[in-house]
Amino acid sequence: MQVRGFGPRTRAVVLAAAPATIAVTLGIVPVVVLVTESVVWAATPELSGMFAAYSRVGESVYLGILGRSVVLGMVLTAGCLVVAYPVTYWLAHHCPPHRRVLVLVLLTLPLWLNYVVLNYVWVWILARGGLVNHLLGAIHPSLSPVRLLYTDLSLTVGFIYIYLPYVILTLYVAMERLDDAYLAAAADLGASRMRLVTDVIVPQTAAGAAAGALIVYARIAGAFATPEILGGPRQQLIAQLITDAYLEVLDLRFAAALAFSFLAVVTFVLVVGLTSRQLRREVRRW
Amino acid sequence: MGRRLLEAERLTRRYGDTLALGGLSLSLAAGEFVALVGPSGCGKTTTLRVLAGLERPDAGRVLHEGVDITTTSPQQRPTNIVFQDLALFPHLSVAQNVGYGPRRRGMRRADRRARIGQLLELVGLDGFENRRPASLSGGQRQRVALARALANEPAVLLLDEPLSSLDRTRRRGLQLELKRIQRELGTTFLYVTHDQTAALRMADRIGVMHAGQLVEIGVPEQLYARPRTAFTAGFLSDGTVLSPTALEVTDETSVSIAGVRVPCADVAADAADVVAFHIPPDAIRLDAGPLRGTVTDRAYGGSTTRLTISLDGGPELTVQHPDPGVQQGAEVPIAIDTVRPLTAPEVSM
Repeated sequence: MQVRGFGPRTRAVVLAAAPATIAVTLGIVPVVVLVTESVVWAATPELSGMFAAYSRVGESVYLGILGRSVVLGMVLTAGCLVVAYPVTYWLAHHCPPHRRVLVLVLLTLPLWLNYVVLNYVWVWILARGGLVNHLLGAIHPSLSPVRLLYTDLSLTVGFIYIYLPYVILTLYVAMERLDDAYLAAAADLGASRMRLVTDVIVPQTAAGAAAGALIVYARIAGAFATPEILGGPRQQLIAQLITDAYLEVLDLRFAAALAFSFLAVVTFVLVVGLTSRQLRREVRRW
Repeated sequence: MGRRLLEAERLTRRYGDTLALGGLSLSLAAGEFVALVGPSGCGKTTTLRVLAGLERPDAGRVLHEGVDITTTSPQQRPTNIVFQDLALFPHLSVAQNVGYGPRRRGMRRADRRARIGQLLELVGLDGFENRRPASLSGGQRQRVALARALANEPAVLLLDEPLSSLDRTRRRGLQLELKRIQRELGTTFLYVTHDQTAALRMADRIGVMHAGQLVEIGVPEQLYARPRTAFTAGFLSDGTVLSPTALEVTDETSVSIAGVRVPCADVAADAADVVAFHIPPDAIRLDAGPLRGTVTDRAYGGSTTRLTISLDGGPELTVQHPDPGVQQGAEVPIAIDTVRPLTAPEVSM
């Protein structure tokens, strides 16, 4: 029997339209609000007055923090990849298959726990009277106390610990698809162990690495809790600055301008990354 | 056979409870084309991987010109391998794939380019330098894989059923070409396959494998027409294998089939080893003879037709005939010229 009315194609479009509209709206509306909020709307609009908040963002203090956040995002993303590569390679190619799920769950356990609690775990470990200093003191009294908390070290460790699971998950998927035959072929043709990594493993899994990097890079750059809990007082990141502007100074316009500038910079870096030909090819394969 | 180029000595390899190789020995001479045939899971691929150094044997040795290379890494071995699924690097072009080995061995760019050019010409792919493996046909990919494995000029090229994914016409074409390339280069080829016809067509010598052991090795004509073991006869030959109960052993040099005396050729030294009898494919004639049988099955196979004939008061025979001119159910006169004794595989190790 022929059903009158929409053909299958029309039906699919209609079905997809509603959720797509919601998703796009939820994505765009906040950005529009953000921009509106950051701009001065006067009766006689004048360019310099309209974007007054943005010229403050351009001051070196704020630019420095913005730059530091973006650079930190990139460096720590690279750090996550460096840790995730050997772990996922082992997991996908050398771990006994029946143990893989268990190991994967253990590795991604931080995803299941509260984000703020995860940061405080490291306070407990790295504090002056914390686990590491206790152990050092037990080895020799002169080794303790060492200042570990509120340093670049604690910030780095905390960030990598929290964001590593995302990178591990995406990279594991790529690693699992990496065929051992390519490694055997490269070894057979004379590739050293190091060459197996650079010639086969990295190119074959670059898409997974890129996907993981895309997920964590912007989140690290824009993180609030980790620098607040584990970072030093002089090492503010952009999210703390925005929060301060909103909640402490109550300068909503400046906060919105900061947030939009950050969004623009992060997006710009992503776009530069994606338009590099190599990366685009890899991401398409993914 | 000539100088011993590559030797496997009593190789043993276990995977958990499974015995993949049970003391396999094999010796390859320079310049010969050896095919290793056997059913799936008989240890053919494991043999190749052990020879290539991709796997360590649990026991036994691999020798190259008399030098023990059992623990030598695959990078340092005089072998290269063409994998069953080819494993061409998808992110590299044809030229980069072929040039990969020389590059890793430190060959200079200009020399490398010349080598790539020669090899692509050898396999008939000149002009394909910048293509990606994904944009090639199955047969073209096989050629790239072959060129890549030859690029380091291995003493022995190991091929793991590289043609099994192709259709029959293309496979036959490439078999001939493989043979031509092997002759042209003089490289020793060890070709693993479960395809008996391919082995018979290409190889100078065929090794028959069963359950991790080399059952029998010899020139194709000999293995096909006069196999020594019951396993080889069943796997490789088109003739009939009869169990001893299907006939009567009258004396040392003859047997009786359905009451008719048939001379026995190639009599084994020790009659106790005989587990079966073989009627070679050319030893059965259908035009006239003392025996009679009924055609129970007729399978047309192109150049020959395979008949299954049930002897009156005797066993079933398999006959390959170019043009039998009989239909299923027909009664035919049969003459059997000779039978041969077959031994158990283990004995002839």
